[in-house]
Amino acid sequence: MAERDLEAMLARMAANKVNRRSFLATSGLLGTSAFLAACSGGGGSASAAPSAAASAAASTGASAAPAGDVESELFVYNWSDYISPTNIDAFKAEFGVDNFVYDIFANNEELIAKLQGGASGYDICCPTAEYVPGMVEEGFITKLDMSRIPNAATMNPAFQSLWWDPNNEYLVPKDYGTTGILWRNDLVTAVPESWQAFKDLVVGEASGKTVMVDSMGDVMVFPLKLLGYSLNSEVESELEEARQILLEVAPHVLALDSDTYGDKMANGEASLTLGWTGPLGQELADLVTAGTAGYSVPSEGTLFWMDAWVMLADAPHPNAAYEWLNFIQRPEVQAEETNFNLYATPNDAAKEFVDPAILANPAIFPPDDVVASLEGAKDLSGSAQRLDIWEEFKSAIGG
Amino acid sequence: MTAEVTHDVMEPAKPGRLRNGLLTTLLVGPAALWYVVLLVLPLAIVVIFSFGTRAKNGGYEPGFVFDNYIRALERPDPFIASLAMASAGAIGCLLVGLPLAYFIATRAGKRKSLLILLLVVPFWTSFLIRTYSWLIILGPDNGLAGVLGGIVGDEDFRILGTPVAVLIGLVYGYLPLMVFPLYVTLERMDRTLIEASKDLGAARWATFRQITLPIALPGLVTGTILVFIPMMGEYVIPQILGYGRTYLMGNALVTDFLEARNWPSGSARAVFLIMIMFATIAGYLWFVNRGRQARDVSVL
Amino acid sequence: MTAGTIPKKTAATTQLPGRRESRSFDRWAALVEGWLRAHTILVYVFLYLPIFVVVLFAFNDTNRRVTAWDGFSFKWFGVALGDTVVQKALLNSFLVAVPTAVLATMFGTMAALGLQRVGKKSRLFFDALTYTSIIVPEIVIALATLVLFATGFDFIQSTFGIKLNFGHPTIIAAHVLFNISLVLLLVRARLSGMDRTLVEASSDLFATPWRTFVQITFPMLLPAIVAGFLLSFTFSFDDYVITTFTSGPGSSTLPLFIFGQVKRGVTPETNAVATIILAFTIGMLLCAQMVLSWQNRRSGRKGGDMASLVAEQSG
Repeated sequence: MAERDLEAMLARMAANKVNRRSFLATSGLLGTSAFLAACSGGGGSASAAPSAAASAAASTGASAAPAGDVESELFVYNWSDYISPTNIDAFKAEFGVDNFVYDIFANNEELIAKLQGGASGYDICCPTAEYVPGMVEEGFITKLDMSRIPNAATMNPAFQSLWWDPNNEYLVPKDYGTTGILWRNDLVTAVPESWQAFKDLVVGEASGKTVMVDSMGDVMVFPLKLLGYSLNSEVESELEEARQILLEVAPHVLALDSDTYGDKMANGEASLTLGWTGPLGQELADLVTAGTAGYSVPSEGTLFWMDAWVMLADAPHPNAAYEWLNFIQRPEVQAEETNFNLYATPNDAAKEFVDPAILANPAIFPPDDVVASLEGAKDLSGSAQRLDIWEEFKSAIGG
Repeated sequence: MTAEVTHDVMEPAKPGRLRNGLLTTLLVGPAALWYVVLLVLPLAIVVIFSFGTRAKNGGYEPGFVFDNYIRALERPDPFIASLAMASAGAIGCLLVGLPLAYFIATRAGKRKSLLILLLVVPFWTSFLIRTYSWLIILGPDNGLAGVLGGIVGDEDFRILGTPVAVLIGLVYGYLPLMVFPLYVTLERMDRTLIEASKDLGAARWATFRQITLPIALPGLVTGTILVFIPMMGEYVIPQILGYGRTYLMGNALVTDFLEARNWPSGSARAVFLIMIMFATIAGYLWFVNRGRQARDVSVL
Repeated sequence: MTAGTIPKKTAATTQLPGRRESRSFDRWAALVEGWLRAHTILVYVFLYLPIFVVVLFAFNDTNRRVTAWDGFSFKWFGVALGDTVVQKALLNSFLVAVPTAVLATMFGTMAALGLQRVGKKSRLFFDALTYTSIIVPEIVIALATLVLFATGFDFIQSTFGIKLNFGHPTIIAAHVLFNISLVLLLVRARLSGMDRTLVEASSDLFATPWRTFVQITFPMLLPAIVAGFLLSFTFSFDDYVITTFTSGPGSSTLPLFIFGQVKRGVTPETNAVATIILAFTIGMLLCAQMVLSWQNRRSGRKGGDMASLVAEQSG
């Protein structure tokens, strides 16, 4: 059964010219879910009976072999509210890390700029995976001794050995998600399921009511995927075609806003947004329940992003850092993270403990056929042409 | 006390030249040290960077090219947009701030200090939530746009995302920088001078023009500079209240330094901005101060 | 000088030919006065309207987003009072803003006074630096300062073996730069054209330069110095960009915390914190004002202005 599905999947993917990574994603997801379905109560940590409290984390999963005493401090540099407080407390209690410093950065750009400038002092940080290769090259992060992180073995293979860390030496995945279209179907006549439909709406009935996130990499996905190119394309002609599309829609865009677009959707100022799934659980939660708001992953394809844990090169508390990396991979702990953050966990063993409503939400855990169309983003901030297009687009917004 | 006042200016006790020099050094020293270490050195870094190239993963790669400057010249739009915005903002601050400063300095009497303090207290709340509050106040539905739109009958009436919202935000954010310099100069204004002027038969306007204005002028100049210059680099207020619909110098710098991580390009743009603004200030100060008596005897 | 009385000013003596002192002129003057007063009131309404909204929404009984009203509740105050992260951030903000204001005010005032004594060329050069420090955009000076510190720390570590870290001192150092210029300009604006005759009279009366300074100059400068202190404190307290790039682990200030929250949604907890700060400050202000006027009533003095009172007491 699984075999036949896999072949069908392969055929579909060949037709779509999807890359190797998505293939792994799909087959991995398919394979693992088949495996789990077939062997309920099979081996590995998935067999542990799910306990109600996350504090059961202490009883399952292997612990790292310490290379010394665990320090009593850990300096973490992360997005805001990105770790469940339950998990932090459990970690502090179990490993005696009394001083858990959780500092915040607002976006990847600030983090990288700071590291680039020479800042130091943190142990762990959580960039988006596409920045990791650059960080490795610049020497900001250390190679991880995976033998000290045995719990990483519960990771879904689809999320391992990806282009940003082919040998699984530098990062431990945290969660993943997509960039897509948020819509209010009480304000537009048809729910956009593709970039083409999105574009038609933007220049049509949603003119002046469309918001896009203020992120070059995410916005460029729209024209490139619409044209059928890779969202990581660096082909000059392809990018120029994308520029034309962007300039065409620019006068119809209401705002470039990465932070308050949820509000704008909720109060009806905007009926469409090119953005992420965050507002679904917050500002738009009521509307989602009422069925008047939702999220689509466009049919032509879109990007999937992954946030990852890395250890910084001059981490002052390496032992505590390793304990953290191992701790956060425990299935119950990962599940608690997903339940708290509403972002998908790449850790399959954790799915057992995830709130079923969240598991069933296609915006958070995209179904396999959708996963096939996802492309991992590359860090193309150095492309002068892309930058030029982005600046011209920004200058043309609002007409 | 005798009737005649000795009228050649008596010099205050002059200690030896060495002590003079020492005092001056002690006074100016700390500020000078700060300028050298935390302004000149970082700026030197910026200039050096501006001639480099972008390293593979972003940042700076040593080099000596002019490409960045050429590129900065090719796209002048952000600069022009900032110029327009800062000018409007400075004028707005002046219109709102000058009468206020005048009132507090000359009419408020005992309440002067309280009023001045109350001017800055709002800024001890977070900038972000203040700006978000403007989103609520100027917003649709229950906000001003909704109310006004209801009156006019325009459902889509919008204040946010327009230059008006940005102007409101700018004046709101920079008002103290205009009011404080004006206040400290106007407050010093000796009321007896005004009385004397009136006693001597001058009309109110003449009094204003020949007594008040020259005294207020240093404050006016300082105020406009302190407001206009930072507004040239402002981008957060336009991003939130203006919905990011204008691409300004500040945005361009953030794009260069943070998004593209092209530090050399950003540095070149910054150097250009600094040079142009510097020339502008120099011209402005020269224009304002020509013909004015520059000789101020030291009070120490 | 005659020993007689100075003739009292009467309407007759002050009325000089050619001056139009008519009733309509008086009415116009009254209008101007009224407009000045109204303008002032409106400006304060304008300033405090968003503050009112901030405080109002601190009582918002919502779960996440701070711009929709969901009912009245005190719960976010409870959260704020129990949140050690926010409290640490607030503490850090003070630990940075107070030293910054003190240092900047001291150095800026000293520099303003000292600059009067230097030659024109040096003064122009110094002025150029002052204005440059204001012209440089924050992101640029922030990143450049970061590079400077990082390079410097590396150098110090390799040469002397001492490991310096990013933290409060680095933030303060960066903040002080801009604020020195601010204070300098404010004090200079006050100094320029300041009445020198009092100073001259003082030295005529054989006062030492120090005494002249303390009793004449300093009180006259005081409003500018206080203004400079207030502004420096405010800028440092509210700063985001420079602080982001010059801070280290555990030295995050309140703005860093709040801006970081934006990604996930700013909660009313931030409003609650702001309200607590406001209540505290305004409370202190009113207390100070009350104490001063009580003191005045006790000593029979008419003045109540804080600045002049401090000035009097310093003499």
